[in-house]
Amino acid sequence: SVQAHKEEDGPQKTMEVNRFTPVPASYDYDLIVIGGGSGGLAAAKEAAKYEKKVMVLDFVTPTPQGSSWGLGGTCVNVGCIPKKLMHQAALLGQALQDSRKFGWQFTEEVKHNWMTMTESVQNYIGSLNWGYRVALRDTKVTYENAYGEFVGPHTIKATNKKGIEKLYTAERFIIATGERPRYLGIPGDKEYCISSDDLFSLPYCPGKTLVVGASYVALECAGFLAGLGLDVTVMVRSILLRGFDQDMANRIGEYMKEHGVNFIRKFVPIKVERVEEGTPGILKVTAKSTAGEQIIEGEYNTVLLAIGRDPCTRKIGLDKVGVNINEKTGKIPVNDAEQTNVPYIYAIGDILQDKLELTPVAIQAGRLLVRRLYAGATTKCDYVNVPTTVFTPLEYGACGYSEETAVEKFGEENIEVYHSHFWPLEWTVPSRDNNKCYAKIICNIQDNERVIGFHVLGPNAGEVTQGFAAAIKCGLTKEQLDSTVGIHPVCAEV
Amino acid sequence: MGWEEIQVRGYSEFVRTAQSYHGRPIFALFCGDKDAEGKSWCPDCVTAEPIVRKELHNLPDESVFIYCLVGDRAYWKDPNNEFRRNLKLTGVPTLLKYGTPQKLVEEECFKAELVRMLFTED
Repeated sequence: SVQAHKEEDGPQKTMEVNRFTPVPASYDYDLIVIGGGSGGLAAAKEAAKYEKKVMVLDFVTPTPQGSSWGLGGTCVNVGCIPKKLMHQAALLGQALQDSRKFGWQFTEEVKHNWMTMTESVQNYIGSLNWGYRVALRDTKVTYENAYGEFVGPHTIKATNKKGIEKLYTAERFIIATGERPRYLGIPGDKEYCISSDDLFSLPYCPGKTLVVGASYVALECAGFLAGLGLDVTVMVRSILLRGFDQDMANRIGEYMKEHGVNFIRKFVPIKVERVEEGTPGILKVTAKSTAGEQIIEGEYNTVLLAIGRDPCTRKIGLDKVGVNINEKTGKIPVNDAEQTNVPYIYAIGDILQDKLELTPVAIQAGRLLVRRLYAGATTKCDYVNVPTTVFTPLEYGACGYSEETAVEKFGEENIEVYHSHFWPLEWTVPSRDNNKCYAKIICNIQDNERVIGFHVLGPNAGEVTQGFAAAIKCGLTKEQLDSTVGIHPVCAEV
Repeated sequence: MGWEEIQVRGYSEFVRTAQSYHGRPIFALFCGDKDAEGKSWCPDCVTAEPIVRKELHNLPDESVFIYCLVGDRAYWKDPNNEFRRNLKLTGVPTLLKYGTPQKLVEEECFKAELVRMLFTED
């Protein structure tokens, strides 16, 4: 057995053993959560409500460029929050252009200051980090800024940034360690390239940027960087937004292309070299075609890699406690109660195999799991019909099946797709595109024309999609949709 | 060197003082003005002050603790006063670490644990 040291608590209490009181297997904590992100914090705060003794361990291994951040995980620090704020910055730039047609007069040329935006964004993030720490302290959740890993049954080792190690035991564990950006594994990638982990706190304007990847991270970042006035190129190995409805993905790509983002399709970088030092400097990227022997070169101030994210599950001692992971992907398979193959160890969030990588999903899973553990609840997390939005320059909201997946599952003859282009009223006066915004629903003919897929491409797609997600959860049919009177004049009435 | 306390009144004096200590960790407690008997018009400030003072010994070396009286009740209620506009204060008492987003507002200042966390942790 292992000794645990708690510095603040003073000398270890001796356990009394007598013939009448059985010695409990006494752990330091009821629950230890490894990872202080969306899922981990939600679970910890929920457990504290049931007066459980909880500890959260959160630690950010700095990026190759040296970036790091505070408590809150990816979403708060290097994901959803800064991404949406910078997307908004880009939209405001567009709005300023549109505003002239609506009568606003200003003579100065409108320019964007990267440092002003980044400082404001980082300040807000700092207030969120602090807010989480206050919330944890206030609910008596112990938080340690330390790297947690299993060293034996019910036991983890926490190492802080000074290298000091402490051991803790708990009755149960929740792994919520999330993911980090993947690198290419080519010369120069870690030395010269940045990832989304670095972008949102970059202390200088990235300048002419090459974004490598076709994920929503790649397209969202390329989108707002172009919207801020930067020269942006996206290098795509094969298709855009793998896993998403491909018709919608191609429309997003077309829109971005028509609005100033360059695309290099069917190439992958094989080498990145530094031509000139500086902040930013100049980098030379050599890329090879995936369809032949052709080699191309290009020079950029910044190369942003967004080719995927890998779970942080390889170096947390899972082998010491026998938790199975998918060796190829690093993801953790769990049952529908988020339990791993080791009964007292659970997992939530992006690291789960075959589950959506979204903040609200992790939060919901974390809260419901804790309620089942400590409050006698039975509700399990519903991973079906989870709505999402991609915040590319033309936003894309979706809930349910893509057209391809619906055809695959139900057969082409059993689904009906209803679709429409629309022209947002706000776009008419400034003469913006009249044939780009688009919406479609996919219905299951055999089930009363139930709406099984909802897709919308247009402004405020996230706001529009949220309500429809609730309707779909209630079993919305085409007939019900048709009989719902529209609000006019808004995009959602389509 | 330990820590030191400076007492100021009003926005300009606060800013001047904070600027003069640039480079050192600066903590500030903002309270409503006190009357002739030394009692503040702000009841939460009356509760918070002794609790904050009890934790001052936890301040890191070289720190500066600025005790700032913001003004009378009417001044404070004005939504455009300089503390609200420039320092983004939303209530008194406010205890903050100057130059960072770290702050405790109103009842948060009653909790010794939180005050200690603000003073001692990064």
